[in-house]
Amino acid sequence: MLRQPLSRALTLSSPVRAAPLAARPYAAQAPPPPEKVEVFIDDKPVHVLPGTTILQAAALVGVEIPRFCYHERLAVAGNCRMCLVEIERSPKPAAACAMPVMKGMRVKTNSDLTKKAREGVMEFLLVNHPLDCPICDQGGECDLQDQSMAFGSDRSRFTDIHFSGKRAVEDKDVGPLIKTIMTRCIHCTRCIRFASEVAGVDDFGTTGRGSDMQVGTYVEKMFLSELSGNIIDLCPVGALTSKPYSFAARPWETRRIDSVDVLDPLGSNIVIATRTNEVLRILPRTNEEINEEWLSDKSRFACDGLKRQRLVTPMMTDSRGNLTPVEWEDAMVAAARALRDCPPGKLLAVAGDLADAESLVALKDLVNRLGSDSTCTEQYFPLDGAGIDLRSSYLCNTKIANVEDADFVLLIGTNTRFEAPLLNARIRKAFIHKDTDVALIGPKVDLTYEYIHVGDSASAVKDLATGSSSHEVMKRLEAAKRPVVILGADQLKTPEGAAILAYTQELALRLQDKLEDKKWKVLNVLQRTASQVAALDIGYQPGVGAALQAGPQVVYLLGADSGVVSRDQLPKGATVIYQGHHGDAGAAIADIVLPGAAYTEKRATYVNAEGRAQQTLVAVTPPGKAREDWKIIRALSEVVGQRLPYDTLDEVRDRLSEISPALVTYGDVQDNNYFAQARSLAQSLQKPVSGKVDVQLKKLEDFFMTDPISRASPTMAKCVQAVIKQKSSKY
Amino acid sequence: MFQVISRAARLSRTPLSRSLPAFSTTSQINGRDQLGRHEAPMIDNDVVVASPDEKQQKSVLESTISVPVKVDLTPVSGVPEEHIKPRRVRIYQPPKNAMQSGTNNIHHWEMEFDNRQRWENPLMGWTSTGDPLSNMKVAFRSPEEAIEHCEKNGWSWFLDVPKIEKPVRPKNYGLNFSWNRRTRVSTK
Amino acid sequence: MSLGKIFALDKVATFFNIIRQNGGIRASLYKLYRQDELKDGTLVGEDKYGNKYFENPRFFYGRNRWVEYNDKAYLNYDGSQVPAEWFGWLHYKTDLPPHKDPSRPKYKWMADFTENMSGTTGQYVPYSTTRAKVEPWVPKSKSS
Repeated sequence: MLRQPLSRALTLSSPVRAAPLAARPYAAQAPPPPEKVEVFIDDKPVHVLPGTTILQAAALVGVEIPRFCYHERLAVAGNCRMCLVEIERSPKPAAACAMPVMKGMRVKTNSDLTKKAREGVMEFLLVNHPLDCPICDQGGECDLQDQSMAFGSDRSRFTDIHFSGKRAVEDKDVGPLIKTIMTRCIHCTRCIRFASEVAGVDDFGTTGRGSDMQVGTYVEKMFLSELSGNIIDLCPVGALTSKPYSFAARPWETRRIDSVDVLDPLGSNIVIATRTNEVLRILPRTNEEINEEWLSDKSRFACDGLKRQRLVTPMMTDSRGNLTPVEWEDAMVAAARALRDCPPGKLLAVAGDLADAESLVALKDLVNRLGSDSTCTEQYFPLDGAGIDLRSSYLCNTKIANVEDADFVLLIGTNTRFEAPLLNARIRKAFIHKDTDVALIGPKVDLTYEYIHVGDSASAVKDLATGSSSHEVMKRLEAAKRPVVILGADQLKTPEGAAILAYTQELALRLQDKLEDKKWKVLNVLQRTASQVAALDIGYQPGVGAALQAGPQVVYLLGADSGVVSRDQLPKGATVIYQGHHGDAGAAIADIVLPGAAYTEKRATYVNAEGRAQQTLVAVTPPGKAREDWKIIRALSEVVGQRLPYDTLDEVRDRLSEISPALVTYGDVQDNNYFAQARSLAQSLQKPVSGKVDVQLKKLEDFFMTDPISRASPTMAKCVQAVIKQKSSKY
Repeated sequence: MFQVISRAARLSRTPLSRSLPAFSTTSQINGRDQLGRHEAPMIDNDVVVASPDEKQQKSVLESTISVPVKVDLTPVSGVPEEHIKPRRVRIYQPPKNAMQSGTNNIHHWEMEFDNRQRWENPLMGWTSTGDPLSNMKVAFRSPEEAIEHCEKNGWSWFLDVPKIEKPVRPKNYGLNFSWNRRTRVSTK
Repeated sequence: MSLGKIFALDKVATFFNIIRQNGGIRASLYKLYRQDELKDGTLVGEDKYGNKYFENPRFFYGRNRWVEYNDKAYLNYDGSQVPAEWFGWLHYKTDLPPHKDPSRPKYKWMADFTENMSGTTGQYVPYSTTRAKVEPWVPKSKSS
């Protein structure tokens, strides 16, 4: 199934294809673009929009101009001067990153003057840069190293070694994630611009001028952002490096495996750097439709949780009720006996936050073959009305990338900053660059940008939906051409969840019907976990409440660690089988523990909040006796005597594609169009609501530890401590 | 590849090799000959005693060979079957290193095999692996070439197309100072 | 040549002598079972672990000094149970047994002899001093 026919693959014309443009139709709907101007970069003609900078124009013809301060996703600063280029009939070299093109401009990026300018800039940078590359963590992936080799002078004129000489700056303490060696700083101000533009935490700045200039927080202060790790990537030198990764490895020693993050619902693309079967660090991988090139701190730094609290061997309770390590065979036989002896209706399977689609489908097939129908997820979603029958009711239909083209965003009961940090970064991008306004129904939280607070009562949703609201937001929503409504999945847990969902659907669809742009989707439900969408697609019932009422005799927890299933709710003598990778809430109540693989250790499918299936790849092998999850369930099915009809991963994925082809079309996302049906089904649910809209993650310290991996991570624990300490500080 | 095969077929002299399909061992013999000349060139009696007509006839016969459309190298590549059937090749464009801004080394496509177990050698702390294909990363100009290579070698493959295309938005230094936009910077 | 020798009566006498010296028929059979041989000899000494050392020059060189291990060892005896001081006498490095040799060094700091514990629970097992890469989860004990 993955092995596409050759003919289909051959239709791909070239590496640079226009495919992603089809996925982002809204960017092109701006007013008709002005006429393009022709410029010449190294005598290569290129047509660009007026106002484009020389550096951007050069990038279009594949000429890469060296830069330190310039970054595509940040504002232009123009202070490093590395991008100086010669322009014909111009007396001085010009900074390509800030210079707009003019008609007929001829730029020489490789002339003698350009080269001399670069060598001069490089010389000045290196005068005050310490020669500590051998002990610098950036060594090997350092822009300054690279560019001094490529563009620097071939000999040194630095003879002043006996003078007090090089500038030295005291290091700053900006928290447990970022190590600063400020002497190495070349003042590119990328970190400052990132903090104030993308992260929205205006903590960084410069003090002093000339050789006294310092980048820092002015007063000693932690960088209180959920995106702070990105300034490590941005720093072109080794001034900001990763504290947990410090002195751990060199970039050429590590093996990089492209994968997908599962610690938040967005499924950010990542690169896992490994050495000797150990995950050393996680870096973002550019995906314009999801995470651009950022990554949230939890996804980036929680990887040390993959080495703590792991389940490495099957376990069973002994006669005194203590879990003791056993062999796979014993655990399998015991688990199979429990499953076989269970009366059909008394078997319950619960899927957790990090379960992959393969193991979800295998477990559901197994449970169904054993005559039971109760497979649940931990997160709740109202089943009234359309429930989970229509895919559009539980997805982010607007899609993450399109959010930045929105002109009004209404957040209902969600703190996107901590539930989906990169979605929040998109909203902030729209807020800054497109003057998009944001409104929030829910508790007053810091979203890093200004928003209109509509209050935190659920009736505000009702008023907006029925059109009876007199709030300013009502008018703004009505007037918006591309509105976006994002509902947090946390709201759906409450007794009024069904009504809030119904009202949100009503509001979103009423807005959508009036839009000129018929393709624009308004309704978004932001799930909290990486597994939820896949589980709902496969047909799991959301929420365990009803299933627990039935008094299950055997409970199969597939990584269910959020604590919604506890011993108190189960009848006495119930058997709990836990399959997962971390010893957390689930394993603690289990009678039989089957060790599974974490997301870095298996090739598995995850579906993100917008319904985009992506696969993780094997970066390291599971520790000890742990095995890939779907294989465990497949093996168990054989011992039970209900053999599942798939032996290889491809066959499991064939089964997945039978359920929904969307589960195996990796990387792509489909449009969903059953809004009207969902709306009509939801009409009866529009009951009066009176409760409050609340969110779970309110503050930064709530953000770091939300799943078994990050709860096991010492780095995340340090972050929580540091944030609490910073909050008590007077700055 | 086609060229190599046809040349090998043309240079083959023995009746035996002619009777075999195009992927016989003649290409190997031929290659060895060119490299080291460890043995004298084999002279076929048929060739020596043939009349000019026969020679011409033979050359006509040998100059055109039919190459099967689907080339399968697995019988000759010598890769054991356990490294062909279950292996899965990922064809991808190397991602830009997030720590660096240079992009010169990523404008190609690569294939790599699924990752297998690696462990730390207890003696020196070096990394060991039992997988002979673990370090086989081959670069291609386009995914089609990579796909063709994989098809020839009988590896099942999948294509990972990176989503890295983004619309060009003109950047403007003046936005830092615009009085009525939110892009105005507060910190330097 | 005496008549006794012709009829091998001295061998018979030696046989009975050996039996007597080893404490009668039952004890001799037990010793034979335990040590696979039965010898007569003079007791040269006993070490502090209860092993007895014998000598009989009637046997040829190499077999004329031997040890009978402490009865507590039963069948689990091996050469490493001979302490270092008796080792020399047993292997003909010296003719003076330890208690008759005044020139042997005796210091307070000298460690007690230990036998080879390989194959028993007391054996030495090398262990890694580096921290494990993956820390397994240790379940909380429900009952002590």
